[in-house]
Amino acid sequence: MSDLIVGISDIKVSNSMNDVITTYALGSCIGIAVYDPFAKVGGLLHYMLPDSNLDERKAKDNPAMFADTGIPSLFKACYALGAEKKRMIVKVAGGASILDDTNFFRIGQKNIMAMRKIFWKNNVIVNAEDTGANHNRTVRLEMVTGKTFIRTSGGEMKEL
Amino acid sequence: MNAIKRILKSIDTIPAFPATGNKVAQLLSKPDYSVSQVANVVKYDPSITANILKMANSSYFGSQHKISNINDAVMYLGQKNLLRAIQTAGISKYYKKGSSGYYDKATDLWEHSVAVALMSQILSKKITGEENTTLYTAALLHDVGKIIMGEFVRNEMKEIVMLVSEHHMSFLEAEETVLGINHADLGGKIAEHWNFPIEIRDAISFHHRPDLLEKEDKTMPWIVYMADEACLMMGIGSAVEGLAQRAVGELLKKFNLRMKDLEKSMVMLSDDLNNAKEIISIV
Repeated sequence: MSDLIVGISDIKVSNSMNDVITTYALGSCIGIAVYDPFAKVGGLLHYMLPDSNLDERKAKDNPAMFADTGIPSLFKACYALGAEKKRMIVKVAGGASILDDTNFFRIGQKNIMAMRKIFWKNNVIVNAEDTGANHNRTVRLEMVTGKTFIRTSGGEMKEL
Repeated sequence: MNAIKRILKSIDTIPAFPATGNKVAQLLSKPDYSVSQVANVVKYDPSITANILKMANSSYFGSQHKISNINDAVMYLGQKNLLRAIQTAGISKYYKKGSSGYYDKATDLWEHSVAVALMSQILSKKITGEENTTLYTAALLHDVGKIIMGEFVRNEMKEIVMLVSEHHMSFLEAEETVLGINHADLGGKIAEHWNFPIEIRDAISFHHRPDLLEKEDKTMPWIVYMADEACLMMGIGSAVEGLAQRAVGELLKKFNLRMKDLEKSMVMLSDDLNNAKEIISIV
């Protein structure tokens, strides 16, 4: 079994049953796990910010940094391995905020909004979601079963 | 003995801060310091020497060719970076054991501390136009209280987590309610034990609530707070408290910053962290 670790602003995809793809410590960042049970192809994205307009050069170097460039990259990388959009199971986690964060950074909320908008525009249905609140999350995609697991700071690993 | 007494007593068991940093700072403050004088002070501290060499070779400090002896390192790093490298090397040894109550991995606290130090410089440049070595040291030390608090927090974790999840306290408030002191105040006391100047102590003590420091003109606690929150949101060296932190509303207005400035700083930090792997690896 190999453990693929997804860093901040990073994507990993796989079509190997032996792989487990994990991203640690999502704060206000968002993790998106996708899986095609027919093609047995899956991937995990960990993006940091909502909008690539902030720094287009950076988005070109590393599309996984932003929601609007990272999400299409994740899907395309899975298509390249034989996945099809209509079969993909989509699970999302992260987007936490600090307490009473109404006019401070709001990056968690903006990350959630950006993701919803992109999925809505592209007719993608989210199958499970654990977003918001103020705790960190670890997300794990198990390729052999296609199951996504989530662990919040200090807690147990649970299926999402 | 109750928790707070035991916590405060633990401060006395922390070894004195290495004198090398202060000696070098004194030398560097003279306009006519010589490279060999500085190298002579540093080289009697083998662990600091080894770490300075590592850092001199990191791309964060811009090195292009391999630096293999301390004289070259002193010359190459220059005044500002040398001081930062020495402080980093000195501080790192206290972080080797990590802080098990807060973090899964021993290296997480150090990684977080380095990230906040690098972020403090990005924000300082944005706000004041220049980097600031004192701020760098304060940022590197901001969570030093956790090296003692960790075991006490671990023992009372159930109670603390209950206060956070059911009473909507910040983690810091819950620490103080259960243990009688929080890691920020404790960190300020450790810095006092090490004879750091008052502005560094204040920046540590108030790094979660800069609005409570009455000295209005002090920007250092605010920048450390902002750098810390940004790194926590990015999940760098993520700890048990997650984002159970108070938002201090007037922050952006105070420095005339927009949300975009902060987002850009986060992008810049990603680059700096890639270049600072050697700094993180010294623990």
